[in-house]
Amino acid sequence: MAKVLLIEDDSETAEEITAELADRGFEVEWSANGIEGLDKARSSRPDAMIVDRLLPGMDGLTVIEALRKEQVRTPVLVLSALGAVDDRVRGLRMGGDDYLTKPFAVVELVARIEALLRRPVESRETLLRVGPLELDLIERTAKRGDRVIELLPREFRLLEYMMQRSDQLLTRAMLLEEVWNYKFVPATNLVDVHMGRLRHKVDGPGEAPMIHNVRGAGFILRSVS
Amino acid sequence: MVPATYADVDVKQGHPGGEIPMRQPQFIRSNTFHWALMVAGVFAVFVIVLFGFIYWQIDDYLTARSDRVITLEVEGIAGLSPERRLEAMDERLKQDPRGVQLAAIFAADGHRITGNIESLPADLRIDGPAQAANIVKTNGSGRQHQVVRTIARRMRNGDVLVLGRNVDEAREISHVVGEALALGLLPAFLLCLLAGAWLSVRAQKRVEEVNQRVQRIIAGDLRERLPHRNIDEPFSKLAGIVNGMLDEMETLIHALAGVGNDIAHDLRTPLTRARITLERGRTNATTLEQLQAVADKAIAGIDQSLTIITALLRLAEIENSRRSASFADVPLHDMLREVCDIYEPIAENKNITLQVGVTSRVTVRGDRDLLIEAVANLVDNAIKFTPEGGRVDIELLRGGGGETIVQVTDTGSGINEQEREAVLRRFYRSDKIRNTPGVGLGLNLVAAIVKLHGFRLAIHPGPGCRVEIICPDREAAIQPARPATRQAVS
Repeated sequence: MAKVLLIEDDSETAEEITAELADRGFEVEWSANGIEGLDKARSSRPDAMIVDRLLPGMDGLTVIEALRKEQVRTPVLVLSALGAVDDRVRGLRMGGDDYLTKPFAVVELVARIEALLRRPVESRETLLRVGPLELDLIERTAKRGDRVIELLPREFRLLEYMMQRSDQLLTRAMLLEEVWNYKFVPATNLVDVHMGRLRHKVDGPGEAPMIHNVRGAGFILRSVS
Repeated sequence: MVPATYADVDVKQGHPGGEIPMRQPQFIRSNTFHWALMVAGVFAVFVIVLFGFIYWQIDDYLTARSDRVITLEVEGIAGLSPERRLEAMDERLKQDPRGVQLAAIFAADGHRITGNIESLPADLRIDGPAQAANIVKTNGSGRQHQVVRTIARRMRNGDVLVLGRNVDEAREISHVVGEALALGLLPAFLLCLLAGAWLSVRAQKRVEEVNQRVQRIIAGDLRERLPHRNIDEPFSKLAGIVNGMLDEMETLIHALAGVGNDIAHDLRTPLTRARITLERGRTNATTLEQLQAVADKAIAGIDQSLTIITALLRLAEIENSRRSASFADVPLHDMLREVCDIYEPIAENKNITLQVGVTSRVTVRGDRDLLIEAVANLVDNAIKFTPEGGRVDIELLRGGGGETIVQVTDTGSGINEQEREAVLRRFYRSDKIRNTPGVGLGLNLVAAIVKLHGFRLAIHPGPGCRVEIICPDREAAIQPARPATRQAVS
């Protein structure tokens, strides 16, 4: 059972997040200010942290910087009412952590925490396999069983990302950021259109669907149907 | 401290920080009046100096003239025989109705032989040039002391001939001139004071008028303007300038108020829908599925409101941020291909041809994420407003004035002249496209990003719509295109 440390000064938000994460089987520890949160991060060694940016005592980014100096590599999801046009936030994202702007959907938060916890291990594997799906990263080819799937470069990139995170909920915002390097949510449902095309190719007629749409949340590539 | 009333302002103006024991008339304390007073003073001094100069000149002239005359006369009379001399003396004194002539002959021992000078003046140098001397004039009526120009000559028989001439007429002329100048000076001085007072009162009136109007503006009457006459006069000019500023501010304030209304309206619509859905769901739903469907619909409505709020916050964030030190070289040609790549399936779904045309490789200093967002917004709009079967072109061009242009052209309905300003307004959506979904902040966002980079945004009329992001060359580094490509994606 993964242990998550939540540092958030607003008790109502904290309660909501704690309840949702507990429902999903996480063990949640809550701290309402920066200094106490930093102590807890040092003592209880959580698997992941959710840190509000504006905190009494010590601001969220400072807490993370302090931990990083001590070589604590716990993945962090930063919450903030502020936007992301900020150099410190960019540094954060490059460090493998994540950032979520308030207000956010709880599904989005859970999906991102799960993504942080199950970050794909750097592997030399050049052949990805999920169920009957096979992706050759060198030959740039895709197969479902014996059927060869013709993919455009952008579709290949999307499928690769999804196969590395199979059975994980991937929200639209996550896909936009990671696959297309988009730091904003466009007006048009770009992701749905691209996903629709990919699904059309991956899930052929008569085959059990592998790409699933989770209503109001995002998409999952399931290894077993 | 902000003065609350006009009377308050008056007192403070004349005597900053000080108490005034007595209230003088307003105009006397005014700056204009002080100036007028000073000018009058300077004028008076000038007139007095002028008078002095004239007096001195006249006196000098008359003295020199009378000196010349008595010198000539003394030589003439001295050259005559003694009998003729006495005759000439009598003649001279007789022909002197103004009584300015003086003449006498003294014997060598000093007693007077004839003439109207009582005694030989002690300070008179004999055989010297004409000089001023103190003499006593005698005639039948009596004696009087005078200072006159005199000259003395010792004649061959030892007698001394003294001639004199009173130059009091110089003083008389000076007196007349002085009177004339004084007569001129007094009215001029008074005129100065009057003009000063009048100008001062007039200025005061205008200031008061302006102040009253400004007070009305402060009180909230935004349509009030300063008094303005259509003449070439500093005060009117100033009023004109201030009125221009007030016009601009009024427009801005109305625009701001309009934005507030628009935000409220745009937020209320989805929230109202969510509320109705929840209300009806609570009454009508009988199964869990129905309730979930209701909740989903309500969440969608609330999400839309949140999207609007997020977009507004993001807009404010970009508008308030400065050129970041983290600006880097952004290759525009690659960026445009990327945007095209993302939007290609969407265009294809609508049967729209999306093409990117790049003739040169251009790099600009900027924030890649924001620039992608700007171009993506333009392309998004273009696809949205282009009917099926149309086309959208993204092009990278070189402008004539040494600039790089990112141009997005579509074959949609276009933006007409009147709407061109309006589309940059927050939440503006043309009536033609009321039913197209969207937040109505897209172009604002583009404008804010473009401004942050020091670029320009231009919207051109049809056919269709042409929007350009113009990057001046100091922001761009151009390299010749390796292959001049024109890549067709769709």
